[in-house]
Amino acid sequence: MNDKTTWEFGTRQVVYAAIGAALYGGLSLLTNVIPLPAAGNITFRPAVAVLVFFGAAFGPWVGLLAGFFGNTIGDWFAGWGFYWHWSLGNGLMGMVPGLIMASIKDFKARPEIMKAVGWSILGIAVGMLFASVMEKLTGGIDWNTAIVGYFVPAFLGNLVVTVILLPILMIAFAGVAARRGR
Amino acid sequence: MLVAWKYRRRNTFIQRLDPRTRFIFMVCITFAFTIPDIWDYRIIAPLFILSLTLYLMARIEWKDVRRALTYIFILVFFIVGLNAVLSGRGGPSSVLNVASPILFRIPLMIPGTDWGWSVPVTVSKVWFAGNQMLRMLSMALLAIPIPYTIDPNIYGTAFKRMGVSDKVSFTMDLAFRFLPTTARDLTITMDAQRARGYEMDKLKGGLVARIQRIAPLIIPVVMQSTVTGEEVIDAMDLRAFGTAPRTWLKDLNYAPRDYFILGLGVAIFIICCVLKWVYGIGDFFVPDFFTNFLIG
Repeated sequence: MNDKTTWEFGTRQVVYAAIGAALYGGLSLLTNVIPLPAAGNITFRPAVAVLVFFGAAFGPWVGLLAGFFGNTIGDWFAGWGFYWHWSLGNGLMGMVPGLIMASIKDFKARPEIMKAVGWSILGIAVGMLFASVMEKLTGGIDWNTAIVGYFVPAFLGNLVVTVILLPILMIAFAGVAARRGR
Repeated sequence: MLVAWKYRRRNTFIQRLDPRTRFIFMVCITFAFTIPDIWDYRIIAPLFILSLTLYLMARIEWKDVRRALTYIFILVFFIVGLNAVLSGRGGPSSVLNVASPILFRIPLMIPGTDWGWSVPVTVSKVWFAGNQMLRMLSMALLAIPIPYTIDPNIYGTAFKRMGVSDKVSFTMDLAFRFLPTTARDLTITMDAQRARGYEMDKLKGGLVARIQRIAPLIIPVVMQSTVTGEEVIDAMDLRAFGTAPRTWLKDLNYAPRDYFILGLGVAIFIICCVLKWVYGIGDFFVPDFFTNFLIG
């Protein structure tokens, strides 16, 4: 998990972090109009599946930067402004599944897909918990609102899209990667 | 193939500003709203007027920005505004905690049953919706002109000169450049899938079925992007990217007008912090004139 490939930050990571940020930000902009029943402005984001896929496929730096910049772009252009803890929370959400990048050899093998989904769920939990706890510390809300009003809807919304879309993305990527020979 | 933003050179004060000035000013205004958590209309309204003035000074043609502004207006007025009026969510807790006169109730019933809620629309929620919309527009009006008025060739230089590392500067530069390409790919994919009978507007079924039906739209765009990424990596590797510290072709220099705008941005941020934390001004409240206007 801590080998050189996992934490490498070269041309490949720079380009895929940028593409991941553009995809996550752009697709989030489209769905920022669909609010979830929550205490704050939590929106339904199918693009989360793309973010965790980029983490799992291209590593933790790609997931972190794609999540951070993608969320920042999406929020800024929609007028929500910049909330560093939500952007960093989204970054962590992409970073955690990136920790298993080096161990995924076959993107269409069921055990590898299950592993990626499992780590992505962990990433969603870590990222959204971080953002919700920071919201409590910076926004002055109580613990109940932070957990029930922010974390639970954000976690569940992201969990559902990840469980459904991540396996499809991985299987599709297996075909593309085989054709490209990389 | 990458496509570019609709950037056009215009002889305006906004375009003569250093791009770093514009990024830093935008950050200052956003932080002025979000760090001290400003919800007072006496601060929001002047900042909205300032953002609107700067937006108009950019002189962006309506045909260029029509789609972006339409999206923002739909989001702000119908989605956020309606959501704020109905639920009072997305802002300070005082919107819901303060006793406020009820204007009317909206019955939200489950079709075919007697179950549902009677949602009270209060003076506080209506005022909050107005504040929320102005606050969001103030920040969006600063962000939207950026792709239309900053040369895409100097994003990277601007980030680098702001102290960011070469690689992260390039990541941010490329992310901005990939955005219009992503939008183009999404439009092409949507048209292609519609030609095959895919009906985006008629997503029927439960939550799982709806998400599954988004896949024909998202998957081709993501896969196309990964293929494009390989081509960009090849091009960058051929130019020995990352082997030595980069040099940047364009040079940026601050002019007196930049110092003025930077000073203004920093001053607004400091004033908002002082007003909130020293004088206790900036929290949400409903002014009497608004309550009197609605209640009579």
